[in-house]
Formats: sequence, structure tokens, C-alpha cells
Amino acid sequence: MRWWQLRNRDADLERELQSDLELEEEEQRERGLSPEQARYAARRALGNTALIREQTREAWGGAQFERFLQDLRYGMRQLHKYPGFSVTTILILAFGIGATTLIFSVVNAVLLRPLPFPEPDRLVWLSQQDHSLPGIAPEPLSYPDYFDWRGQNHTLSGMASFMGAGVTFRSEAGSQHLDVQTVSANFFDVLGVAPMLGGDFRWDDEKPGNRAVMLSYAFWQSEFGSAKDIVGKSIDLDDHSYEVVGVMPKGFQFPLENPAPALWKSLADNAEGKNPPTQQRGFDVLGVIGRLKPGVTVEQVKANLSLIAANLARQYPDNNKQYSSALVEPELEHLTGDTRPALRLLFGAVTLVLLIVCANVAGLLLARGSRRRAEFALRSAMGASRAAIIRQLLVESVTLSLCGGGAGVALAIGVVRASVGFLPLESPRIQGATVDAGVLLFVLIASLATGILFGAVPAWRLSHLTPANALREGSRNVSGGKGQYRLHNGLVIAQIAIGMVLLICSGLLMRSFIQILNVDPGFDPKDVLTGRIGVSFDKLKHDQHFLFYQQLLTRISALPGVQSASAGWPLPMSNNSATVSFNIAGRPVAQGDEPSESLGVVMPGYFETMRIPLIVGRSFNEHDGLAGPPTIIINQAFANKYFPGENPIGKHIQVRAGDDVFEHPMREVVGMVGDIKRKGLTADADPQYYLPYAQAVVTNPYLVVRTDQDAATMRDVIKAAVHELDKGVPVYQVSTMGDYISKSAAQPRFQAVLLTGFAGIALALAAIGLYGLLSYLVVQRTLEIGLRMALGAQKFDVLRMIIGRGLTLACVGVGIGLVISVIITRLMARMLFHIRPADPLTLATMVVLLFLVSVAASGVPAYRAAVLDPMKTLREQ
Amino acid sequence: MSSIAKQAQQSANLLQGTLDMLILRTLLYGPAHGHQIGKHIQRTTNDYLQMQHGSLYPALHRLQRRGWVTAKWETAPDRNREFKYYRLTQRGRKQLAVEESLWKRMAEAVARVMSPAAEES
Repeated sequence: MRWWQLRNRDADLERELQSDLELEEEEQRERGLSPEQARYAARRALGNTALIREQTREAWGGAQFERFLQDLRYGMRQLHKYPGFSVTTILILAFGIGATTLIFSVVNAVLLRPLPFPEPDRLVWLSQQDHSLPGIAPEPLSYPDYFDWRGQNHTLSGMASFMGAGVTFRSEAGSQHLDVQTVSANFFDVLGVAPMLGGDFRWDDEKPGNRAVMLSYAFWQSEFGSAKDIVGKSIDLDDHSYEVVGVMPKGFQFPLENPAPALWKSLADNAEGKNPPTQQRGFDVLGVIGRLKPGVTVEQVKANLSLIAANLARQYPDNNKQYSSALVEPELEHLTGDTRPALRLLFGAVTLVLLIVCANVAGLLLARGSRRRAEFALRSAMGASRAAIIRQLLVESVTLSLCGGGAGVALAIGVVRASVGFLPLESPRIQGATVDAGVLLFVLIASLATGILFGAVPAWRLSHLTPANALREGSRNVSGGKGQYRLHNGLVIAQIAIGMVLLICSGLLMRSFIQILNVDPGFDPKDVLTGRIGVSFDKLKHDQHFLFYQQLLTRISALPGVQSASAGWPLPMSNNSATVSFNIAGRPVAQGDEPSESLGVVMPGYFETMRIPLIVGRSFNEHDGLAGPPTIIINQAFANKYFPGENPIGKHIQVRAGDDVFEHPMREVVGMVGDIKRKGLTADADPQYYLPYAQAVVTNPYLVVRTDQDAATMRDVIKAAVHELDKGVPVYQVSTMGDYISKSAAQPRFQAVLLTGFAGIALALAAIGLYGLLSYLVVQRTLEIGLRMALGAQKFDVLRMIIGRGLTLACVGVGIGLVISVIITRLMARMLFHIRPADPLTLATMVVLLFLVSVAASGVPAYRAAVLDPMKTLREQ
Repeated sequence: MSSIAKQAQQSANLLQGTLDMLILRTLLYGPAHGHQIGKHIQRTTNDYLQMQHGSLYPALHRLQRRGWVTAKWETAPDRNREFKYYRLTQRGRKQLAVEESLWKRMAEAVARVMSPAAEES
């Protein structure tokens, strides 16, 4: 049976029944009945035509679908008939489903979407465990360790290394700084992506003298106009010639959380020179990725590599003593590890919002259902089965929720576009959050589930009607009796309870976020501009390098609008760091057991420009230059850890920085400065020591410039000053210190803002739910209220009765919500910064807020009841 | 559920099995339309079944779907009017034979239980 034949069948059946009826009528008339009587008799003889039609259709088969269409048509008609109700409901649903869609699109992009590499499940992130630290402490590998792991393991089909680097690219158009990666020859092969042009690196490209590069699609396009003949040509990086072997396909990059590199160079340049990085076992800087052999588990790889690591620790105790085992993590888990709890929290919160929406809409349907009792009683009397009534109501509610889902998707698409600005873009893959097919499927399922959830309760109730009673009651007393109120009350209490939970969670996150913003980073980020310049290490000797910076800083300091200028590495919160081991004079330790802490190298004036307070001793000055005595400044945490209760000034420390470049002189501690938040606002201040840049030229430092006005306006002035000194030096990573701070707070801000939004929606919905119930109550009990007033009740009594009712519900809801919050917020403890999950201030504020809103929501219907004119009411009823 | 609907459905369930057989048996005499079939069953059961005509139609359509009867609108021989005539198909005849024998066995079994004396004699 095709659906277009259904109509014919209906007509056919109709004709058949009609003809039966006519024949019967004729016979009855022949028996002497009046035409009128004959017609009734014929009807009686034929039976319930509605039921006959129904049953006959069942006999046809395929009736389910037809019935569904019929219900759908009817549902649409109902929506059309009550536009106010429909629009309200659809809007509420759109908010709920839209918010859920928004979060799901982020969850989908970040956590669920597979990595863009073939067989991504076989990719694992490799590192070594630092056993000198508690817990899991991954440490990158050094080249010699990497080569040993690569050569000795039998569980990986490939193992590749990569390391971020910066180079100066010179062409006819000028010079520019490029973020690039130095990778092992099998890097692309392990990831499973082949170049789109040219060929892959060969093993020979790892050997000294074979400098080769692979271009990214974007760089190839912008710099070489997508020239196909680029393969085999040479390009100039850091004043060396590199041969282009190929171009990678568009969008290829790894790791995904970092900015995409412009190109990849083979590790040949790391293998050149005297004592190159490829031979330094203590130079732990490599990211390593492996591909499991088919059928091999992560545990097997871990056991295999740990064995190798343990051997290396025995063989090279000097560098490897504490790295005696391997860490193996599936790449997707490694990538999403940090964002996982936050997204889980948000998804949980948005699910709660959706539940409130369900309860809210169920309440609306209940109220409307009582107005439709007569309709359904009639249907039931006409032979509609209970299943048929439930089915019809569910189709109606699902129709509503699908409309809401559609509107929600539109809302979510808009919000996803608009919210790109405040998403923490550092979170890997979050930029990929779009409303794609997967998300749409989710919306469809969510909408169906929502429709069934909020439709089921009212449908169940309506299907329980006893038609005779319902019809007799008519429109006069259409309340559903005690049962219905209990149900409706329950729905409102549920909304308030869930709203309470969300309010408390968002309050805690907000407070925690404000705490983070109030953290003193240990320096003054306001009006500080930072940037780096690409001075070539090959062209300038170390002392020339230092002199260049000295000259540059003198020039910048002299600029109008500049208070002071200096340079240092690493910049706080810039994700750079180096941990270097040292010896303290007079405290001999076994080789390999030397303590190590975080290193900084700074130019004179750095502490003053950053406003890092000097606590004791002196700051670096011109005496700490190339020829001066070796010096060192430590921070307070360092002093507390290594010189507790002692005066650190005058102590001697031997730092083993820059293995090949420097002697390792004994350095005298000349000063102690305050601690800074090096890794981020929420991180603990850790021990750190600083060396004068002149005595430890290891990398290009960050310029730090304190300005009189808004730092951002000085960008071009600083650039110009650099280019005045040397046109060929690119300036990059120009950014204000304030930007680093706000990036550091991006993730907590994202959570706090979103959750507050959800809590706001929840609060509004709970208020609407309460308002709706009380308004409905007032309408239902108009007669009773009129009577009470006629018998002497005052306006105030009526007000008190209605508001009291609202507050009773609110109390129960708040109580339940508090109990649930105690359980839930404990799970959040790790996301909170300097706030206990049971923060009394937050709890009290939110409870008061919810009560105030409840009073407001009850006030309107209560007022309406109080101003009823008793005489008029009684007359009308 | 309404009491009317409940009654209607109960009698429908009760009749369904036997009703199919009665219809097939009636059509053995030749093609007939719904009203005729109904009247015939009522007359031959002396109105014992108290059947409403309407309950025939779902059954007729079900039989048609199973291929046991065919239906066609035809002009009645005695008057100038079209009726939907049902005809027994070959498969319908076989089905009737099956149901008849089942029914007979059933009736005999019931009879043996209800009046064992008659069996002995």
C-alpha cells in the first residue's frame, strides 16, 4: 500500500459503509418505521463507524504511518490554533535545545571528532617519567634517548620526533620570522600523511649537511604563489640554504594544539657543529609520537619502552637517572586531557538546563491539557483507545520539540559564530566547533527525547480520563483535582531544585574566576609591551648578540612614551621554560642527583621594567656584563627551598646551562627578587633563578617595554626602532603583557561565563514555571477566592495565600537543590581556585537570589488574585 | 478507556476467529456485498450473534488483504445500483476447508467434554 492510495481506500470504504447504511434504512422503512426512525435504526445496526474505519485501516496494514501523518496534521493544526502557546513553548525549547547544541558542538569538535590522520587510534604520545617528581611528570626526550628508543623498540611501527623552532626566512621581499618545526625524517610517515607535491624526507636528511625542508600548503601558497616547480629549489633560513623536498596538503599540522608551522625542517641542522643537540643526552626538548604496530596495546608499548628507558638510566646516570620509565598516552587523550573535565561540567550543566526546559514545558502542557480535557473525553467516548490518545499527544509534543530544535539549531549557529571571540582558542580544536551532520543528528535525537520526556506525563494523565465525568464537569470546573496539582507542583519544585544547583555551580565558578583575576602575578602587567626579534645566532657571536640588544634597548628607552625597556627569557605565561640543574657550593651530591629549577636570563633593568620587587641585595646592572664576575639572582621560593633561615646573598651556585657554550663558573648570589606566576595565574609560584643575559646568551629574549600610555598603541614605534638599527631583523610575537594574562584566564572565563549564562536561563525558566503554576492556580480557584473574599478575607490574606504557596514550593526546591549541590560541587573542587565547594558566601547569595526571584514570580499572580472583585467573580462563575 | 469502546473491542476479538469462517462460508453460495453477508449471518444464526454490520467490514478487508476474497464494484442484477461484491478465491476455499475441519474437531472435543454420556452410547 502506497500512501497516495490511502485516500482512495478511505473513499472506497466510505462508499461501502454508506451503501450498507442506505440498504438497511430502506429495509427498516419497508418494515414500517418512519424515515427518521429508520435512519437511527440503520445507524444502530451498522455500529460505531469511527471505530469501524479505524479497525478497517488496521486491516489494511501500513496504518501506523498513515496514523502518524494524521496525528502530525492534527498536531500542526493545534499549534496553529494557539499561536501564543506554541510560540512560548517553542522559544523555551529553542533556548534549551540551542544551548545543548552549542555545547555539544564544542564537545563534538574537541573530544569526539577523530584526529585527522589515518588510523588515529594507533597514534600515541610518548615521554619519559620524571621520578624525582611526585605523580605523573612527563619529561620530553633528548635526541640520543629518542634515537635509542626508536632503534630498540619492537612494539611501534614508527616513532617520530618534533620540536618547535623559530627561523628568519630571507627572500627578495625582505626577511620575516617563521614558526617552524624540526622533525625526524619519518614524521609525516608516522602520522600517515604524504606530501601533496614532491617527496617525503629520506633517512639521509637527518645527517649533517643534508638540510631539507617540507613546506606547508599555506606558506607555499603565500610565499611561492603555489609554484609547482618549487620542489628541488633552495630557500634561505637563518642564512643557510635548505632544499625544498615537497609540500604538505592543506591544513596538515601536528600537534593540533600549536599554531600551524610554516614549514618543517629535517633535523640535519641539529646534528651539525661541535657537540650538536643530537648528541646531548641532557637536552630534553623533543616531542615524540609513535604509531602502534597492529594488534599491539598501549600497555605493551609502555612495558617495552620502559625497559629501554631503565637500561638508559643505568647506562647514563648522569642525565637519565630519574627517567627510568616511559609514559605512553593515546594521542586523542593527550590532546584533550586538560579540557575534558571542563567540557564535561558544561555538558552536565546544559543537560540540567534541558531538563528544566522539559519540566517547564511539561507544566505548560499540563495546564493546557486541563483545558483540553473535554476534547479528549469526547475522543475517548467516540472509541479512541488510550494508546491512540497518548500517541496523538506525544506526536503533538514531539512536533513542538522538533520546531524548538530547529529554532535551537538556528540559535546555536548564530551563537557559535558570535562566541568565537570569547572561546578559549588555546583549547585544541575548539575552533572547529561547527554545527555539522553529527551535531544535527544529536539535535534530532535530543529533540525527540525532549518531546517524549515533557509530553509523556501530561499525555499519561489525559489518557486516564473517565469520559463521563470529564464531560459532565464541562468547562466549569476543569481542574484536574489533587493529582494534577501534585504533579504540577513536583515539576515546579524540580525546576527550582535544578536551578539552585546551576546557580551554585555558576556562582562558585564565577567567584573562582574573580579570584583568578585578583591574583597578583608578582609583576605589573599593565602598560607593558612585549615582542621578540629574530637575531641570527650564526651571524653574530655571543658578545655581539648581547651588544646588539644593549644598543637596541638604549634606543627604545630613549623613545618618547617609553618609561623603561629591557629583555628577558622566558616571558611569564608565554609557555616557554627551561629547567636546568645546578650545584650549590659546599653541598656535594652524587652525579645525576643534582637539583634543577627553572632558569631565566635577563638584561639589566628587567626586574624594574616588569616591576618584580627586589627583596634583598641588588639587581643586575652593567657590572654583570660579558667581562664581569659570574652572578646569579634567585627568587624567594628558591631561597626558601635551598637556604631556609639563611641569608642567600653571597652564596655560590654553579649552573650547568648551555653545555657547549659556557664554562660552568661558580656564580655568586647577588640578589633575591619576588616570586612570579611563571606558568599562569592559577599556578603556584615556583623556585626560579636568573642569570645575566650577557653571561648566558641562549636564545632570543623577549623585549619588555613599559610605556606611559596604552601599550598596544606603541607596537609600530617599537618595530620602527628595531628596523632603524637593522632592517633585516624580523619583529614577531608583539603583544601586550595584558594579553598573556587574559589568555591565562581564558579557560576559567569561558567556563564561568557559559555556566552563568546557563544558570541565568535556568533561573528565568524556574521563575516562569512558578509564575505559570500560580497563575493557573489563581484562574482555577477564582471561585474559591471570590467566596473567601465575600466571606471577609482581606486582600492581604489572598496575597499571603498565593505567595505563601509559591514560597513553600521554592523552599522545598531550594532544599533539594542544596542537597544535590553538596554532592555535585565536590566533583568540581579541582576546577575551583582558592574557593571551597561549600563556600558559604556563594551558597547564601544564591539562595537569597532564588528566593527573591520566587517572591517576584509569585507576586504577580498573587496581586491579580487580590484585586479580584468578589461580586463579579461569583456572578460570572 | 470508554466502556463503549471496550465492548466493541471485546466483541470484535471474540468474533474475529469465527467471523472469518462465517464470511467465507457465506460466500461459498456466490458473490455477495457486505449488507447481504451480514443479513445472511444474522438470519442463519437467528440473530443469536447480535452482530452489528459494521464489524463485518474490518474482517472483509482483512480477508481481502490475505487474498482469500476479491472485491469489485458491480451493478446489482435486480436494481440499478452499484455494490461492492466479494467473491471467494481458490485460496479462500482452501482456507475455509481448513477452518471448517478445525472448527469441527474443536466442536467435537467440546461436545465430548460437555456430554460424555452421549459419547458412550
